[in-house]
Amino acid sequence: MSTFWRTFKVAAWLGWEMDSNWTEPWLFIIYSIVKPIAAVFILVLMYVVFAAIGNVRPQPLFDFMYVGNAFFIFVGSTLFGTFQVIQSDREWYQTIRYVYISPISFYVYVMGRAVSKIIVASFAVVITLAFGAFVLNPPVPITISWSAVPVFIVSFILGLFCLLAIGITLGGATFLMARHTQTIAEAVPGIFYVFCGVLFPLSVLPGGLSDVGKVIPLTYWFDLSRRLLLPSAELQGIQTGLGGFSDLTILAFLAISSVAFFGLSIAVFKAGEYLARKAGKIDMTTSY
Amino acid sequence: MPYAVETRDLTRIFAGKRHWLRKPDPEEVERGVGPTTALGGVTVQIPEGELFGLLGPNGAGKTTLIKILCTLLLPTSGEAFVAGHDVTKDVFPIRQRIGMVSGGETTGYGLLTARENIWMFSQFYGVPSKVAKERIDGLMKVFGLWDRRDAKVRTLSTGQRQKMNMVRGFATDPDILFLDEPTLGLDVNAARIIRDYVMKWLKENKGKTVLLTTHYMAEADEMCDRIAIIDNGKILACDTPENLKRTARMDTTFQLEVDALRNTDGFTAIPGVKNFSSKNDIGKNMTHLTFILDGEAPVADILSRIMSQGSKVHSLQKSEPTLEDVFIRMVGRGFE
Amino acid sequence: MREATVRRADLRFRLGLNLRSVVGRAYPRVIGANREPSWLIFEVFLPLLGIAAYVFIYQAFYQAQAAAICPSPCTPTPAQLLALHQAGQNLNALVATVVLGGTMVAFWLNVLWSMASQLYWEKEIGNLQLYMMAPMNRMALLGGMAIGGMFMTSVRALSTLVAGIVVFGVIFSVANPFLLLAVFFVTLIALYGMGMMFASLYLLWGREAWNLSALMEEPIFFSSGMYFPAGGLFSIPTWGPAVAIAGSIVPATFGLDALRQLTLPGTAPLPLLPPVTELEILLVLAVVFLVLARYTLAYLETLAKREGKLTSRHQ
Repeated sequence: MSTFWRTFKVAAWLGWEMDSNWTEPWLFIIYSIVKPIAAVFILVLMYVVFAAIGNVRPQPLFDFMYVGNAFFIFVGSTLFGTFQVIQSDREWYQTIRYVYISPISFYVYVMGRAVSKIIVASFAVVITLAFGAFVLNPPVPITISWSAVPVFIVSFILGLFCLLAIGITLGGATFLMARHTQTIAEAVPGIFYVFCGVLFPLSVLPGGLSDVGKVIPLTYWFDLSRRLLLPSAELQGIQTGLGGFSDLTILAFLAISSVAFFGLSIAVFKAGEYLARKAGKIDMTTSY
Repeated sequence: MPYAVETRDLTRIFAGKRHWLRKPDPEEVERGVGPTTALGGVTVQIPEGELFGLLGPNGAGKTTLIKILCTLLLPTSGEAFVAGHDVTKDVFPIRQRIGMVSGGETTGYGLLTARENIWMFSQFYGVPSKVAKERIDGLMKVFGLWDRRDAKVRTLSTGQRQKMNMVRGFATDPDILFLDEPTLGLDVNAARIIRDYVMKWLKENKGKTVLLTTHYMAEADEMCDRIAIIDNGKILACDTPENLKRTARMDTTFQLEVDALRNTDGFTAIPGVKNFSSKNDIGKNMTHLTFILDGEAPVADILSRIMSQGSKVHSLQKSEPTLEDVFIRMVGRGFE
Repeated sequence: MREATVRRADLRFRLGLNLRSVVGRAYPRVIGANREPSWLIFEVFLPLLGIAAYVFIYQAFYQAQAAAICPSPCTPTPAQLLALHQAGQNLNALVATVVLGGTMVAFWLNVLWSMASQLYWEKEIGNLQLYMMAPMNRMALLGGMAIGGMFMTSVRALSTLVAGIVVFGVIFSVANPFLLLAVFFVTLIALYGMGMMFASLYLLWGREAWNLSALMEEPIFFSSGMYFPAGGLFSIPTWGPAVAIAGSIVPATFGLDALRQLTLPGTAPLPLLPPVTELEILLVLAVVFLVLARYTLAYLETLAKREGKLTSRHQ
């Protein structure tokens, strides 16, 4: 256990150094905020444009989208924070062979490396939510009751845990792939963007596509986070497909699916590792 | 006739890490964050057709000099000319004429084959594709890479990769070739193939020039027409290997093998000891000592100092000077 | 000296040298893409999902609007029918806006990651020093990267366009194909010129520039109106126009706006300027960026050589 903890700590430290020591702290903070805020502004402008040309203001839908998008910052950061470890250590720093042969759990190492990205993402999420609540006009009505705080904390931890598991699953796959760090970073979150009801209710999806989201734990995480942070009246008219379930039932769905994804992540990671070793790809370089 | 390479008082100082908003504090400068002098007033002249060696330990400034001559780095002061052109101003004609191969390089694209990688680089020198391919095939045969010509670069061994780099260096038919530790980490056979080809190439192509940096004494001794010994960014001597050794021959060189010594201070205080180096062999628990002496008289004092530490002398031999002895004589230490 | 490598400096030789360099550097991109087809998933299929998400947002808004115009169960009156028709037209225009933006995003990302920041990778894997001591023009090297990457990018851009038409049912109507092509190609030239200018930063910087590229994703998507008409920025009274003007430095802004107007005649929402004017501005931007790129590449190469950063890895 102490080896796991030590690995995790050192990996987290290394991740933090790699993320932040390229510049002065104040520049790093600005950098960390500008990207997610700009992503939020894209949605704000989409809404503004629709309202301007359609003469209609579907405010609850905007609030739904806003909170979903704020939490989505975690998705991009955590997934990138995990899967890119293998590609950057392999192709960029070319240290993967040394880390890989050291007597540590590589799985734990990858998880540790993602921690700094989660911390920075948390900061960006808080700023985004605060911006919606205090700067936007009309404001996004973000509140949380004291009684909802324990459920929120549990859901938050499960959500992050699940994201790490998905990221590591992806990491397992990148063992076998050529260097596509940036494109994967951009492309994979798109799956969750569409199928997890982040920006629009799942009922908008055609045919049976809305069912895809029901097997992805993040769908429950986004739904529960919104339920806990937005007034229920705000969400009443929106068909999420999960309206019939209570908060605790959604939390149970989240917990069960997170455990399943954790198991899947171990299996895929080990399989990726095994196949890469078999094919001699653990420390390959593939740039072109 | 202009020199193939000429430098005059060439100096290069690296500024060290700079902060955007504040000056580095003195403590940081002390830890090596501050400026470093990599080259301190280097003056060399290399005529066309010469295989010139630059011999020095790691960090001596060899690669910095090569980088300046290859137009990759600007000098802080002084002048450098390659094929008669100033490296700071006239880079295009220089770049047409030069090639460089570094030891331990991991260049190339992993998804391309060895042949494709080299072909790609040849295109940056404007070599017509057909000519390039013929040359590459010929060179691959010479370097024993023909069987691996269509293997992807990522599957090549260290030696094969270095041979591929050598083929790249020759494929553009440079007038002046810079070889920066080209046999670093290679096995005896691979290193031998490279050395032989470089010497053959020079012999068969009049007017071609090679600047070779190495820290392998024997390699420099065997290959080079002239050698410059460089340490701490300064040229300490520059002559033919024979002449360099001749200067050392004026002195007496002794090699000793003794039980591991705890303390090697004080040898230079013995009258007649010009310089010495020591190397510990941890496996055998022994110390190898090389002394450059003014005559044989100091040997008795050296032995008594060794024995006063309770150490036993296993062997003592007077030797013919090598380039390493020349280096020890000048610097006061060996390469390792 | 053999004929093939006679050292020359005349224009014909330089032209040949640089054309060979373009082909040489484009080659690994094209070959690499064929040898490692996993890019098809990440470059083509998955990005479509991201674009689909933006389309679904507009569709969700539309559904809310339609429900407001004619609440369920809906038996529309003629006035309601007209309003629904108008809302449907607006939806088509907005979805088309997203689809065209998605195609432009493909090119922008290619500029950022496959050309500008590629120099950082080249430095890390040790190729940059070999490029920088070769006699070809640096723009030829970057041009080779751009053209090589264009294969993958065009597949992505085309698949976005096809998905927009086939899956989302977007209706485009092109009245002036020549102007459309002119705008498209001039936008690309200006965009890649800008990318070459950015690339020069990588000669000097390492991770700083990489992070700058990362920073030029969402903020540029926003200020250039990749997923909404850039004219919408003028609806925000205080800082909106300033962002729009700043964003118009990126050629994608006017390029996209013109393309939207030329493919959605009469229905393109919130246009900025007439397409011909935008083409003129793009022409100026293209020339300015290419000239600036030439000078910044030369200047920053010298600066990097002076600071010793041209070949220092892991900065």
